[in-house]
Amino acid sequence: MADYTKPIPSPDPVSQPFWDGAKEGKLMLPRCDDCNRCHWYPRVICPFCHSMSIEWVEATGKGTIHTFAVQHNKGLVARGWGDDVPYVSAYIDLAEGDRMLTVLKGVDPNDPESIQIGAAVQIEFEEASEDVHIPFWRPV
Amino acid sequence: MPGPASKAAAIIGAAEANDIGYPQTPKSSLTLHIEAIKNVCDSTGIPIAAIDGIFSAGWSPQIAEYLGLHPKYIDTTAVGGCSFEMHVHHALAAIHAGAINVALVTHGEMGFSQRFTQGKGTGRPGGAGDPWDPATQHTMAYGLGGAPTAYSHALNRHMARYGTTQEDFAEIAVVTREWATLNPRAVMYRKAGEGDLPPLEKGEWGGGKRGHTFGGPITVDTVMNSRPISWPIKLLDVCLVTDHGGAVLITGPEIAKTSKTPPVWIAGAGESISHWNMLEMGDFTQTSAGRSAAAAYRMAGMGPEDMEMAMIYDSFTVTAGITAEMLGLAPAGEGFTLWKDRHAAPGGRLPINTNGGGLSFNHSGMYGMQLLVEAYRQLSGTAEDGGFSGDPGKQTSARSCVVNGTGGSLSTTGTLVLTSD
Repeated sequence: MADYTKPIPSPDPVSQPFWDGAKEGKLMLPRCDDCNRCHWYPRVICPFCHSMSIEWVEATGKGTIHTFAVQHNKGLVARGWGDDVPYVSAYIDLAEGDRMLTVLKGVDPNDPESIQIGAAVQIEFEEASEDVHIPFWRPV
Repeated sequence: MPGPASKAAAIIGAAEANDIGYPQTPKSSLTLHIEAIKNVCDSTGIPIAAIDGIFSAGWSPQIAEYLGLHPKYIDTTAVGGCSFEMHVHHALAAIHAGAINVALVTHGEMGFSQRFTQGKGTGRPGGAGDPWDPATQHTMAYGLGGAPTAYSHALNRHMARYGTTQEDFAEIAVVTREWATLNPRAVMYRKAGEGDLPPLEKGEWGGGKRGHTFGGPITVDTVMNSRPISWPIKLLDVCLVTDHGGAVLITGPEIAKTSKTPPVWIAGAGESISHWNMLEMGDFTQTSAGRSAAAAYRMAGMGPEDMEMAMIYDSFTVTAGITAEMLGLAPAGEGFTLWKDRHAAPGGRLPINTNGGGLSFNHSGMYGMQLLVEAYRQLSGTAEDGGFSGDPGKQTSARSCVVNGTGGSLSTTGTLVLTSD
């Protein structure tokens, strides 16, 4: 809350349903009403079939690690993250398709060999402000 | 007589966004772009997927990414209100040249609404800094910043997919450094204190003949033992940050005959984009150089087997390794073998990055001009010309060169095939 010192995203009219869901601990994803594919990041148009019929659906919050890296350099990471190095950033393949960036919780940044590409992960949300709860992922 | 491009193209439709003027609810500039694009495509019956050239004032990479398009021509000229007339001119030329078939010229600008959003949603060229930019919004929370923090994910994915190792990529840094030790203009030419010049004082300019703390020959162990930056990327996997200035002149054959320096011919050219933010990079082990190189080779009527050297943007060792695969110079997953087996080294069959590369020669932030200058020097036979500094480089016998620049986060590529005759 008040002591959250890392960057906090600004919801916009397009992404608001995602952030509303995050406050309730739900992963909401935009899904195309015509081709039924989910996409990430949220858009007003489906990046696969270019329909503008987008609906929001509650996702499982499950995924797998696509790839990851260990951030060691304070000078290269954003304000608020410098004190957390080393930490593990990762791209997550969502069970519903497409991919999110995140920071992995519950892993040892000093032992990257112990983290497996392809491992199952689960989403969780951290309250950064009253309006913004940020998604993070953790190995199951 | 009309010029050859006259009436080579026509404007076939025009449309606006759904809410223009003083809308009740603010929409981002990006949303205004998308609405207008959807509307003009609906009105003309041309599907969005058919667009193969994107022209806008600073937004083209984001528009392409947002629409999931992989255009063959990207122009993002932003020179004020006249930009869009210029885009039409550029589109005409591109179509006349046969480079593209469907050019999109697009605009979105929340000049009014931004008063009510404190500037959010207006975008910036490239999107950085706008909290409403969708890629920024959904990546900023995780602290990734400088390029190494992103490229490391691609290296890890490549290792997982192909069984490559950190040592394999270190070989690229080692051989590239070997070229730098032959080029006195290279920052890493020699170690500080070596040669006939005094060692550097603290705060003094380093590089070239004065040497560098980390300069001179290196081994795989040197790279492996350099400090971690963004694991698995280490300090010596990363390019330099330097000053640079460069320019080239391009003319037709008649003027080329009058030049005091020899011509190097542009046999082929291609460009492409796969994403802008790494969040949207589909396959972390491939770049759009596969497409841009295919276009360049096709135009040249040549292939990777005809290339006698290569200049490959090496922002990181992983950039060079992957790009070598994309250019068809090595099989998928085996780009690093060109360096490890010393084909890319001085005396090898396919010299690569003969100036010492972005890794050990010079990298000012944008390295594409350095690639062009070195390719010209090699193919024109002037690499041993010291030029302004008086420092000669190492001349190879290459008569053809594939040049590939990579921009963004492994996002954008431009490929050239250059030849001596």
